[in-house]
Amino acid sequence: MSTASHDVVAPAAAQRSDGVWLAAWRRFKADRVGLVSACVVLAFIVLVAVSALGWVAKGWQDEVGVANAPPTLLGPRPAEATGAIEVPKGPNADLSAVDPLAPRYADIDAAASKYRTTDAAKADTLPMGGDRLGRDVMSKAIKGTQISVFVGVLAAVLATLIGTVLGALGGFFGGKVGDFLEWLYNVFEAIPGILLIFAFAAVFGRGIGTVVLILGLAGWTGLYRQVRAEFMKHSGREYVRAAEAIGASSTSRMFKHILPNISHVILVRMSLLVVGFIKSEVILSYLGLGVGVEDVSWGTMLAEAQSELILGYWWQLAAATGFMAVFVTAFSLMADAVRDALDPKLRGLE
Amino acid sequence: MAAYILRRLWQMIPTILGVVLLVFFLFKYFGGDPAEILGGLNATPEQIAAIRQQLGLDKPVWVQLGLYLQSVATFDWGKSWATNEAVSHLFSSRLPATLTVMLPILVLEVIVALPVAMWVSYRRGSLADRTLMVVTTIALSISFLVYIIVGQYVFGFQLGWFPVQGWSDSTWTNLTTYVPLPVLLAVFVALAPYTRLYRTFFLDELGQDYVRTARAKGMTEGRVMFSHVLRNAMIPILTNVGLALPGVFVGSFLIEVFFSIPGLGREILLAVNRSDYPVIQAIAVYLAALTMVINLIVDVLFKLVDPRVVLK
Amino acid sequence: MTSSLLQIQDLRVSFRMGKEQGVVQWAEAVRGIGFEVPENSIVALVGESGSGKSVTAMSIVNLLPDNAKRQGRILWQGRDLLGASLQELQQLRGKEIACVFQDPMSSLNPVFTIGAQLAEPLMKHMGMTKAQALQRAEALLGEVGIPEPGRRMGSYPHELSGGQQQRVMIAMALACEPKLLIADEPTTALDVTIQRQILELIGKLKATRRMSVLFISHDLGVVGEIADHVVVMRHGVIREQGRVADIFAAPKDDYTRALLACRPSLTHNPDRLMVIDDHMAGRSSRQVQHTKDPQAPVVLEVRSLAKSFFIKSGLFGKREFKAVQGVSFRLRKGHTLGVVGESGSGKTTMGLTLLRLHEPTSGEVIFEGKNLLTLSDRERQSMRRRIQIVFQNPYASLNPRFTIGQTLVEPMDIHGIGTDRADREARARALLEKVGLDASAFAKYPHEFSGGQRQRIAIARCLTLNPEVLVLDEAVSALDVSVQAQVLNLLRDLQDEFGLSYVFISHDLAVVRFISDEVLVMKDGVVVEQNSAEQILASPREDYTRRLLAAIPRGYQA
Repeated sequence: MSTASHDVVAPAAAQRSDGVWLAAWRRFKADRVGLVSACVVLAFIVLVAVSALGWVAKGWQDEVGVANAPPTLLGPRPAEATGAIEVPKGPNADLSAVDPLAPRYADIDAAASKYRTTDAAKADTLPMGGDRLGRDVMSKAIKGTQISVFVGVLAAVLATLIGTVLGALGGFFGGKVGDFLEWLYNVFEAIPGILLIFAFAAVFGRGIGTVVLILGLAGWTGLYRQVRAEFMKHSGREYVRAAEAIGASSTSRMFKHILPNISHVILVRMSLLVVGFIKSEVILSYLGLGVGVEDVSWGTMLAEAQSELILGYWWQLAAATGFMAVFVTAFSLMADAVRDALDPKLRGLE
Repeated sequence: MAAYILRRLWQMIPTILGVVLLVFFLFKYFGGDPAEILGGLNATPEQIAAIRQQLGLDKPVWVQLGLYLQSVATFDWGKSWATNEAVSHLFSSRLPATLTVMLPILVLEVIVALPVAMWVSYRRGSLADRTLMVVTTIALSISFLVYIIVGQYVFGFQLGWFPVQGWSDSTWTNLTTYVPLPVLLAVFVALAPYTRLYRTFFLDELGQDYVRTARAKGMTEGRVMFSHVLRNAMIPILTNVGLALPGVFVGSFLIEVFFSIPGLGREILLAVNRSDYPVIQAIAVYLAALTMVINLIVDVLFKLVDPRVVLK
Repeated sequence: MTSSLLQIQDLRVSFRMGKEQGVVQWAEAVRGIGFEVPENSIVALVGESGSGKSVTAMSIVNLLPDNAKRQGRILWQGRDLLGASLQELQQLRGKEIACVFQDPMSSLNPVFTIGAQLAEPLMKHMGMTKAQALQRAEALLGEVGIPEPGRRMGSYPHELSGGQQQRVMIAMALACEPKLLIADEPTTALDVTIQRQILELIGKLKATRRMSVLFISHDLGVVGEIADHVVVMRHGVIREQGRVADIFAAPKDDYTRALLACRPSLTHNPDRLMVIDDHMAGRSSRQVQHTKDPQAPVVLEVRSLAKSFFIKSGLFGKREFKAVQGVSFRLRKGHTLGVVGESGSGKTTMGLTLLRLHEPTSGEVIFEGKNLLTLSDRERQSMRRRIQIVFQNPYASLNPRFTIGQTLVEPMDIHGIGTDRADREARARALLEKVGLDASAFAKYPHEFSGGQRQRIAIARCLTLNPEVLVLDEAVSALDVSVQAQVLNLLRDLQDEFGLSYVFISHDLAVVRFISDEVLVMKDGVVVEQNSAEQILASPREDYTRRLLAAIPRGYQA
């Protein structure tokens, strides 16, 4: 089968002088699923930016609703029976004869009206419901999106930087440098991933920056391996040999010649890392090892949701799951489309 | 062969050394002061100083490192700061529980994902194939946590088919009563990524030249798939299983936490929450060594699977 | 009159290439061809890459990929195979029509033993039991010339050499006594001496089993030796077909004539090779003869060059693999030294070592009085300018992410040639025209050019540095015959104009004969024979050289 396709004269797709990225963009535009997913991801990114600037969901910590307020669509919860004591119906009895404070009520009311209370009435329903403390689930979900996506992307960038630089050095130079990096890689790989994350979490503590650091430091090994393999493969290729023959320096060969040729591989791998790190952050936050107490993420929401579920309050679980599912699915589909657009031969990498 | 094994064992030494160094310095320079942790919140400075001396923390760094290396070499892992239990005992008592859960999961994952992936790659491009890809993409976007929370709620709490949590001393009871729900959930969740992965392996093999040769010899599509392709696809599949094997020992800590199974994963989590450094350090080194030994065994056994493998 | 086994009538094959703006795009590979394969004869399908010959062969039993569409009639003993169901085709495949492919290493299943793979069709089509099938398989291995067949039954494909693997493929194809053997470029991936053996094997088997062979190849020399009938294809259509004697002695079609004429021959030595387009347009070749000055100054002298690779073995030890051992030669200005050898002879390693792309183990390379192998880094950089290299694979030697302009300007930037950016770009454009490309190629990317064009660009890249010595490492081996002729002519012209000296490495003696003045024959890292080009071909002294010459397909000899 492979020989047969060599005989075919491909239609004149290569008439335009497109670089790789331009040609990929053209292919990407033709993929409807990819475009839709990209729009969804873009919408989420806008949401993240807007939330980070404080324009929405700033007051997610405010307890604006009653405890466990149901979503607006379901309507307010019916008033619960407050125990065995029956509340008698009918107007209150008149006690002014025996009530010692009765003559002072008018003054008290007059004095009280001078003070403004900011005791806003607690809403009975919230758009996506409220949590145990009456905080707006939608605000939490949006803020959580901001934090979880931010952590995932930043950690992926960190891991990619470390993995790429080390992989380039190890793959290109080999020898003692390569051996040392291989040793480093083996050390990090020998410890099971989650254990490494836990060890880092134990010493570094909680917090957004910490989580980024932990995930980045624990997750560079996969990318290192791939970048190293690619550099080793390309170093032997004739265009690099030719560059050496004309006198190009090592740095030039590594970063001017080889790196652009594998940047698409790195990009695809990084998108996989983003998804993986978002999921890791959710689990870490669930366990209380992720973001700090003053922050909210999808993970902390899920932690609360577990106890709420038994009581029959499902909306926080649904909101966190929903936001996460939509974003991750859209991101994955977009990443697939980008990969296909960059190089159809990479399809096997999924 | 013997030369190969010896060389591999020899090469493990610098790596183990690296792990030990990493663990030692990580906890030394980034972790909290052990004396303060052990002393507790109400300890006086004198008490803390006494603890420090007892632990040998006032000695120079390289002496401490030497002592640590010595303890590693003699397999003296020390005691847990929280429970004062010997770490080695901790390890040996928690491991069976982890294995009782993880091994069935590993086996079932492969057994279930394989036929699905094979069927889907056989009908590549069909509606079933594309539906599967979409379904798996969505399934993968939902956190493992959600599956466990919902699964535990529905099957344990609402329907009452399985106990929500629990463990016993008898392996048989565990296997029949407490293990099914966690295993079910874990395998269900693992289906999506494994099916996709195996599908890729099968598709890769289907594109190879030897498949064309088999067809040219007049073999039916069924024989091509089940005999030629499957046998070749087993190589990356088993490689994948081999890589997953060391992970079995840490266990899915989430499962252990949710279902209150007294396994190694849950133990590590407890240790992290309690800042129980000796436990974490010891388990890290233990498991790193175990990982390398398992990798060696897998590499050696691989010759049975792939005749092209040359052990140098 | 022999009856027809296979009759192809008006066959069209197209491939579905995806949708552009909603319309399905088809690429036509075969555009209406017809020919016959009679009983007990060898029919050769000849053409360059893109001619559609492989697609034609694979469409007979439908081994094409899923996106292929076939139209027309394929009559096998009167039955139309185009409408046959998959089951019917599966009955036919391996039993009456069998195939041998180009790359035996990837065509054999790597995880099954040779014996198991041979037994498979026997058990399916001939209804044998496993024991019977294995016995028959062993006999087949003996028939195709595998030594110690009993031992080989349990071997895996990767344990055999390329030639042996191809014999196994042939044995597998012959197992059920097919009437037609389709051989798709079966010898292209093999060394020339092995190729000779496989061709003889196929000829012998055809005679003993009275079977027909459909032989696909791009090599007219091979075809001329082995075929009874020849079908010449180009761009999906048949240009000419007929008996081999007629085709070779009196070709009627322009393209066939051009194809025959532009092969470098071993017997006479034109100054320039014929190029297909020239030939078809009726232009005759310029026969300007000039001789080279035998006393020209020595530009490069190599003394006892050696290169070894060290491989880990045992517990701590290293094994030495001597790729190049003690090579010495003198290259004069304006001359070409041809280096010939099969795979594993060390010729490529030697070429790379000259440029210090591999670090040599020992020896000296004297260039302009200095030993290149002991230069300091700065001196080495200036040396880089003077000796350049053109690689074999045109698809890998240009950076896919650079425009042609960037590729050409980079060496000038590094060595500070030219006054400023504009000057360098002007030089680059001029060089592009010199190698026969349009200056507009400056802004394009490598994937827009064909193999031959990319090799010219690679040559232009070397020329930007005004080198004195050019090492050509199998520079034309991956090109079609007609394109090869163009590039060889270009190299000749450049040598005349700039006084370049070449080290021309190749496995193809005919090409080496055309372009070289002196020839070096290498085997297993050593120089076996060294002489002027005419002497090597007219009176080879060594046994290996003689074998090499004898193995070269001569084409049709009346």
